[in-house]
Amino acid sequence: MYWLEKDQVVKLTGKLARDYALFGPRRDEVSGQVIFDRLDEPGRLDLQAAIPYNPPKFVLFPHYEEILKYRYQKQTRKVTIEKIDKLQPKALVGLRSCDLTGILCLDRFFLGQEFVDEFYLEHRKKLFLISSTCVRPFPQCFCVCTDSGPAAREGFDLDLTFTGEGYLVLVGSKKGQKLVEELQLKTAGPEAAALRKKMVDESVSSFDSFALENKAWISRATNRLTTGFVKPEVWEYIGHQCFECGACSFVCPTCSCFNVEDVNDNDGHTDRVRTWDSCSFEGYTRMAGDHNPRKPVEDRRNKRFFCKLSYSQSKKYLRPGCVGCGRCARVCPGDIGLPNVVTYIRREVTGE
Amino acid sequence: MSYHRGICNFCGTGCGHLLLVENNRARGVYPLPGHPLSRGRLCVRGWHIHELLQTDERIIRPMVREGETFRTVSYQEAIDYTARELKKFSGREVAFLGSPRASNEENYLFGKFARAVMKSNNISLSSDAGLEESARVLLEGCGWPAMTGSLSGLRQADFILVLGGDLTRQNPIIASEIHFARRAGAFLVTISPRKTQMARLSRIHLRPRPGTLSMLLLAMARVLADEDLIDRESLAGLVENWQAYSEYLDSVDRDEIFRLTGVEEKEVISLARKLTAAKSAFAFYPVGIQSLDRQSMAALFNLFLLAGKVGRPGCGLCPLTGISNLLGSLDMGLSPSFLPGYFPADREGSWKRLEELWPVRLERWPGKNAAACLLEDNPVKALLVVDHDEEIIRNLNRIKKLELVVYFGAYQNAFSRLAKVIFPRTTYIEGDGTYTNSERRVQLSQKKVDPPGEVRPLWEILSRLAGSLGHDWNYRSAEDIMSEISRVVPQYAGLSHLKLKDRLGIKWPADERHPEGTDCLLAEEASQKFRFVLDDRESSDRPRQSSPGQEFPFQLVIGRSNYFWHQNSIMKRTFIPRREYNALLLLYPKGFVEVSEEDARALGLREKQTVKIISEKAEVRLAVRISPDILPGMLYIPYFVDDMIPEFLHRQVAELEKYEEFFLPVRLEKVA
Ligand code: SF4
Ligand code: SF4
Ligand code: SF4
Ligand code: SF4
Repeated sequence: MYWLEKDQVVKLTGKLARDYALFGPRRDEVSGQVIFDRLDEPGRLDLQAAIPYNPPKFVLFPHYEEILKYRYQKQTRKVTIEKIDKLQPKALVGLRSCDLTGILCLDRFFLGQEFVDEFYLEHRKKLFLISSTCVRPFPQCFCVCTDSGPAAREGFDLDLTFTGEGYLVLVGSKKGQKLVEELQLKTAGPEAAALRKKMVDESVSSFDSFALENKAWISRATNRLTTGFVKPEVWEYIGHQCFECGACSFVCPTCSCFNVEDVNDNDGHTDRVRTWDSCSFEGYTRMAGDHNPRKPVEDRRNKRFFCKLSYSQSKKYLRPGCVGCGRCARVCPGDIGLPNVVTYIRREVTGE
Repeated sequence: MSYHRGICNFCGTGCGHLLLVENNRARGVYPLPGHPLSRGRLCVRGWHIHELLQTDERIIRPMVREGETFRTVSYQEAIDYTARELKKFSGREVAFLGSPRASNEENYLFGKFARAVMKSNNISLSSDAGLEESARVLLEGCGWPAMTGSLSGLRQADFILVLGGDLTRQNPIIASEIHFARRAGAFLVTISPRKTQMARLSRIHLRPRPGTLSMLLLAMARVLADEDLIDRESLAGLVENWQAYSEYLDSVDRDEIFRLTGVEEKEVISLARKLTAAKSAFAFYPVGIQSLDRQSMAALFNLFLLAGKVGRPGCGLCPLTGISNLLGSLDMGLSPSFLPGYFPADREGSWKRLEELWPVRLERWPGKNAAACLLEDNPVKALLVVDHDEEIIRNLNRIKKLELVVYFGAYQNAFSRLAKVIFPRTTYIEGDGTYTNSERRVQLSQKKVDPPGEVRPLWEILSRLAGSLGHDWNYRSAEDIMSEISRVVPQYAGLSHLKLKDRLGIKWPADERHPEGTDCLLAEEASQKFRFVLDDRESSDRPRQSSPGQEFPFQLVIGRSNYFWHQNSIMKRTFIPRREYNALLLLYPKGFVEVSEEDARALGLREKQTVKIISEKAEVRLAVRISPDILPGMLYIPYFVDDMIPEFLHRQVAELEKYEEFFLPVRLEKVA
């Protein structure tokens, strides 16, 4: 393990900014809230800030992405494929463990199955990931129930733990090792590993007093979901409160539904674009010939939670599809974020 | 690629968002955490606004019609041409149709152009009928033209009444606030003919017979009085015409009303009790796209005043605007009846004041709205339009006959094809501007991307046009215009771009007394004594239409608000919302009529079977959709299939355009 002085953070980001576009948590000046954003000025990085309102998903799985450009000539009936600009390498600094785990889930979806998604791969290959331990959880967090925090175990290039004076630095890859050497960081001494463990343990035991917004007793819900022991009335109760906005999917670090559209430009070519989509939408599952396998809204809710929590889906991600970030609870106009749904399933709530 | 703080420009909720901009294009959106109303939420439309904002279907260059085609010209040429043409007409020969999506600055200037430069008072919005009516009722009743309450306190409410519409579709994030309030313990009541999602979430859903909503509200008032649930003493002090209203209430035939509305008396009594007991009570009603009628608004106002819920903290009457800047557009005086700042056009003083401020001579003749101008026997000769959705197209043939149509817009639409001159204008993220949501919150939206090519902002085009017509307007920015607005519109006196830059909106009135804006109307600060709104006594205790008879046994309700977005030229430029809004259309390509489960059984109707709906004047063929959402005896047609509208509906009813409460007696026949 290495040691990074507080004032060396600038050196670290400065160095990264030479080769990578820098992303990290920053504070919005007016609302005062934290968002994960491109940092044109590395100085805007706020490593002490709370979990950002948005996950880093948009960096490697953009909300709207051109994946193909082509030109179709009517007269000759010829299609010419045009080049898309090369992607820029990006460094994500100050990732919370839940969000890093989210990226690992996306990896399994886009890269770990039969087909490898080359667009995702292209983004992914060029990432530099620096995670940051949560020495205190935030009110919305429940990563301890989903085994995805408060400290990262894998998947990072570098991992930081703030001790108050400076950062303990764990190296997770060759790229990370190289950067540490270039920055000529000191090694952290023999007691570092124990110190990190102590801090993480303290963080875990402080969930009871700080992470009060959401309690999600995932395993019980997982059992019920997997065995199908959820009464239809429970889904109905949940479905009636859904505003069908799609937010729960958009803000989830692990949700990967997308839609593909062709958009005609003014100048004669067509962009094939991929955009975020959500299984909450009726149109998402509509099939030809009027047959929609998940018609009523409660069934579509059911689908999403099945995807997040059932054993069969967990096998796909090698972990639950929920990483405990609590975001879906904050953005949901219907107040049926995952933690509430888990409660309704556990307690068989069907009304008020 | 980075996120920029802004606001959603679809509906009158005005949610805060973060727009992701990359290479000068909108590439994503995210809800803005910490926004005082939306609190980090967006609805399905707001989550896809970038799909609209990235579209290439823009108008990029000014164009002038030559025969059947358009010739591309420079702005200067287009301005010279338009100015030359406009000089041919007197003010009375021109009508102006503003856009409820344009900013306050743009709308203010558009109104000033009409009144001060063209000397025309024919200025309106097309979706304003309901909002204007609501403003009139509220002004008369309490001297305050818009939402009297504050949504900031909504989650602490005890009692919430939702009238008509389909709020979870029309203003989803305000509906969400109501849902949270309900979960925190508010008693939620919906009154609507159809079982909407809001109705499902409500503790009580009342379904008075179509056309009897104002009567039901009147009945509630009568019950309050009969059960002695009112504070007569404080009413006498607070209200100017308490005596007159009290007599009116006494004259109402209570039993008759219950019979006509079809609502159980005991339910109304228990509701009246709940309302009185509530410390904090709110009522919501839609205005704009499909609005309540005047009688219902007046009856609602009177009910709340009687119950002591007007002018108190934690209480409010809340008209909800369906389009982003509808309220702001009316604040800016885009109406034949109001000058900027709600100064009534029928008072000499209003004109004198404006003549001093602008300073310019103004005409006093009473203006009309654009639709009325087009339908007259002697219609106007020229029309200037900003940005329009398709609604006006129903007057297609009249518009075609005009000598001059000038269109200012960012996107191609059906309207642009009718124009003689087309001025491309910037979209709302290509310049600065303020927008006023339903709760009177004025928010500044700052420039985030450069416009394509040479596209200019509307305020600049109008200024140059005014210049060509001999009016020296020296606005250099939208900010300049706002500083003029702050002198002309008293509600905006304390506002400037500088001040709005680092705030998430300020609720008007903002003035010396309330520099940070005003949360809600308080009786002790009101400009006048309150009044019960007592006009139309004749009609308010009578159903709006005769009840169905033998020949036409069904009441056909035409729903507009929840399907408005289908019809919208803006939604058609998105992917996901378009797909979702079209989901129903795919199933019922020619439209459908909803029939209750009971009636379907009785008549032996199958799902999707074709039937004829016959009224006194017209008939239409539609597929049956059996629905648990409507009552027996009622039929429901959503207003979203293009052909159906001119075919069947427009021919017979102008009123359908405006009011939620409208119904038509029809019969249903199977097609062999
Ligand atoms: S969920 Fe866990 S890892 Fe994520 S921010 Fe909260 S404490 Fe950190
Ligand atoms: S389901 Fe909700 S809490 Fe779980 S990872 Fe997704 S957004 Fe976070
Ligand atoms: S965020 Fe809530 S309301 Fe929106 S789709 Fe998801 S569950 Fe439904
Ligand atoms: S509620 Fe209205 S303002 Fe808010 S996101 Fe939806 S459309 Fe936009």
